[in-house]
Amino acid sequence: MKRLGIVALALCIASGLWAQTLKMADPHPDRTNGWGAVIEQINAEFKAANPGVEIVTESYPDQPLQQKIKIYATAKQLPDVFKYWSFSTRLKPLVDGGFVMELNKADFAKYGYVSGSLESNMYGGKLYGIPVSGDFWVIYYNKKLFKDAGASVPTTIEDLMALAPKFKAKGIIPIVTDGKDAWPLSITYDVFCERVNGDFSRQQAALDRKANFTDPDFVEGARQYLKFVQSGLFQDDLMVSDYGASRNLFGQGKAAMYIMGPWEMGLATDSNFSEEFRANVDAFKFPVLKNGKGKVDDLEAWFGGNYVISSASKYKDLDLKYLKYYAERFPGLAWEKGAAFPAQKVAARESDSAVAKTLLKILGDAKKVSGTTTIDRSTPQFGEDHQNFIRELSSGLVTPEEFCKKLEASAEKASKQN
Amino acid sequence: MKGLFGNGKVVAALVVPGIAVMVFSLVVPIGFSAYYSLTDWAGFGKFHMIGLENYREILTADPVFWRALMNALILMVVTICIQNPAAFALAAVVSHLTSRFSRVLRTVYFVPAVLSLVVITKLWVSIFNPTYGILNKMLHVIGFTGVNISWLSNPHTALGSVLWIILWQGFGWALLFYYTGLMTVPKEIEEAARVDGARWFQAYSRIIIPFMFPVISAVLVIDVISSLRQMEMIFLSTDGGPGFLTQFVSVYLYQKAFVASAYGYGNALSVLFVAVAVGLTLVVQQVLRRNDDAQ
Amino acid sequence: MAGVRPNALKSIGKTILYAFLILLAFLQLFPLLWVFNYSILKSGDLFGTELLKIPLVPQWGNYVRAWVDGKILRYFVNSTIVVVTSVAASVFISFCLAYAVTRMKWKLRPIAMLAVTLGMVVPIHTTLLPNFLWFSYFGLINTHLGLIIPYVAFTLSFNTLVYMGQLRTLPRSMEESAFMDGASWPRIFWNVVAPMSGGATVTVCVMTFLNNWNEFIMAYTYLATDDLRTLPFAIIKFQGEYRSDYAIQFACMTLVALVPLVLYFFFSKRIMAGVTAGALKG
Repeated sequence: MKRLGIVALALCIASGLWAQTLKMADPHPDRTNGWGAVIEQINAEFKAANPGVEIVTESYPDQPLQQKIKIYATAKQLPDVFKYWSFSTRLKPLVDGGFVMELNKADFAKYGYVSGSLESNMYGGKLYGIPVSGDFWVIYYNKKLFKDAGASVPTTIEDLMALAPKFKAKGIIPIVTDGKDAWPLSITYDVFCERVNGDFSRQQAALDRKANFTDPDFVEGARQYLKFVQSGLFQDDLMVSDYGASRNLFGQGKAAMYIMGPWEMGLATDSNFSEEFRANVDAFKFPVLKNGKGKVDDLEAWFGGNYVISSASKYKDLDLKYLKYYAERFPGLAWEKGAAFPAQKVAARESDSAVAKTLLKILGDAKKVSGTTTIDRSTPQFGEDHQNFIRELSSGLVTPEEFCKKLEASAEKASKQN
Repeated sequence: MKGLFGNGKVVAALVVPGIAVMVFSLVVPIGFSAYYSLTDWAGFGKFHMIGLENYREILTADPVFWRALMNALILMVVTICIQNPAAFALAAVVSHLTSRFSRVLRTVYFVPAVLSLVVITKLWVSIFNPTYGILNKMLHVIGFTGVNISWLSNPHTALGSVLWIILWQGFGWALLFYYTGLMTVPKEIEEAARVDGARWFQAYSRIIIPFMFPVISAVLVIDVISSLRQMEMIFLSTDGGPGFLTQFVSVYLYQKAFVASAYGYGNALSVLFVAVAVGLTLVVQQVLRRNDDAQ
Repeated sequence: MAGVRPNALKSIGKTILYAFLILLAFLQLFPLLWVFNYSILKSGDLFGTELLKIPLVPQWGNYVRAWVDGKILRYFVNSTIVVVTSVAASVFISFCLAYAVTRMKWKLRPIAMLAVTLGMVVPIHTTLLPNFLWFSYFGLINTHLGLIIPYVAFTLSFNTLVYMGQLRTLPRSMEESAFMDGASWPRIFWNVVAPMSGGATVTVCVMTFLNNWNEFIMAYTYLATDDLRTLPFAIIKFQGEYRSDYAIQFACMTLVALVPLVLYFFFSKRIMAGVTAGALKG
């Protein structure tokens, strides 16, 4: 009996030594659909290929995840591999605190990253995380509603605004977006500025204090943005209409257009909406201003979300192996399941929906990309301010000139912090 | 009898567990919080002591903070002057009904309190929707056809709408407090109130309400505190907007500490909030105690 | 003859009153109807143009998914453990504290009152990080005890206040006569004072139960392992990064809300019997 006990004990110890448990975290609590399901599959495959490895994941929605990661960082209990956000607002503090392991860009060269994607995660010439989604700003539209109202896809903002009465006559909201969360509005403002000045780099210049947010092009951008928002195009309660509500309005055929990113290509395959809607959803490029310098192939595009490795992880080699496996499998799986629009190149398939093909084309056609959105380029406080001010501007509480002045003051403050 | 109520050992046994738990989970974090409020920490990473700079900025250069306090004050007044009397009246009515009907009604009236704040808020956001919400639809039906107010985003109606949601949800709680309070009024007192054939209004105001004064005071203090502490409902409906017209301190400190990563600043807000709340509560309690002693 | 008219008025008044009460009941019940309605729709139909929508095909599958994928049973067990324990502890501790503060004479009384007041105003968010670090030191992170303690702490003050309000209405003569009969302190508490405080106990139990049943912030901060999680997390399971499966979330919410409602319905009957008995005795 004693011998058996010793053998059993030895086996237990050995298996304990053998098993390596990777702790992970991501913002996808739903593991049966979409992105969460893709991660589960990747994890299952990885475990099968690497016996003795266990993976334990914590998943929360965005805000709670950020909170918890920050707490873990301070408590020195970070997960081994986790998904976080991009530079510079969110990832930079983690990097500065020494919490994130440096990666070798060359390791990931063969995974087909869209140009500019890996670069947007570099800081001081070093790579700190692999981007996972290719995000860019487009306008989705309902082909049937357009046909019924006798509208055609607009190429200029002015044409777009002229469509409003046509849809309203049919009792359809022309455009919806998530106004409650403010960031879609901030991004739209970015687009308007570029449509005026034709130059994405102006935003960074202003943040670097080589230009001012009160310069005429920014003010004009704010004016045009305000005109756009107040033109009767949007849903009446834009400012309290949250993500789900606005998306549902579009999906239920109550709105003709929806301003959002490519992750919504899933609209075409979402069984929650009618067959008719799914067959008629498509997208077009954000139009240009008649007298502006921005062109239609200038794309507001950024590469959101990073997978990073904790610098305190005990299994750095294993973590790296996992990241590479992720980079290898993610684009294919994500595209197949319509779970996400990857930051890596994927080939269009015959079976892809019309909107998915259009989105690929829009990204492929892009001649200039913006890189990280303005709200994420500076300090978190600046990002917060930007969103608060855009809310005030959109609610008509401040004028475009006042908006720009406030932005300018906030940028000045932020530059001193860095 | 002084010996009975002055028994030190008994007092210690009664008090120590409670104080211990509070020190462990509340006082320690506040201590940390006060410490963090003297820094410019982002919540993790770099850390510099900056003394009372955060406090200076909040008290002199932050209009949002003052607006938030003002909103809490408005909520307090409305809760105490409108919601509480209404709840009390309803509790009184319900307490005179037959037991089964009363029990069903009480359970039903309490439903909003049972549902999570997320549900309540989403429901009201839906009702307040200018185009599809039933509020505007009902107004149209009864004749105000031109009304298309966006209740939660219009600067004039936003605060009122948010306050309404909060009051409505809290109504079930107030009803519960007052009902159980009324239930403990001994029968003799109730009978004494009706002895000289006095009408119910006088019975209540002269005898029953004064008897229940301690319960009422407790509820009022709780009202004051909850008004200051409002967080989820605001966060889920207007997020403090439009501008910062519907901002409350708890929401603001969350935004500052966690979203804007101004953790030190957020903690300073927190400390100030605690100070204001404690001060206000003490004042209210003093006022109530003076009234009670005068009885 | 003079008696007839007042009676008629009385019954009209009564009818109006009853009608009002029932209307109010319907208004209060509406949110539950709404949640339930949304829980049997498809996610895409929510937040649309109608407030209530009768589904052509009720999506009972939402409940199945809520139960299975939402791991409702597991989370329910955890929630019960955590919440029941914290309610019991909070009720007991706050009763003791309230008694000491209102009835006993001792020098540090004002300080205890201050502590109670302080306990009511501390914002939960600012305690998250400090408590996480502090609890880690004691190995309380990712344990149920590490959740129960703050749950008790945050509800202690309000409960003490409610008990204080209640206790102040009771005459001191009760304890004095019991003491003269030779009863010890524990006896006095259990047999004399506690039954008289039945009303407050109901309030306190209900308040504490509900606050903790729906509590999410501390639960996600202090717990990490899925096996320990509580019910609010079931709802989160159906939240995606941008879009969520709302209908299933609403199914979860319905299930989560049913428990306290049913409990309240039965619980209040028992205590009411105790309360009225106590009132008669006094």
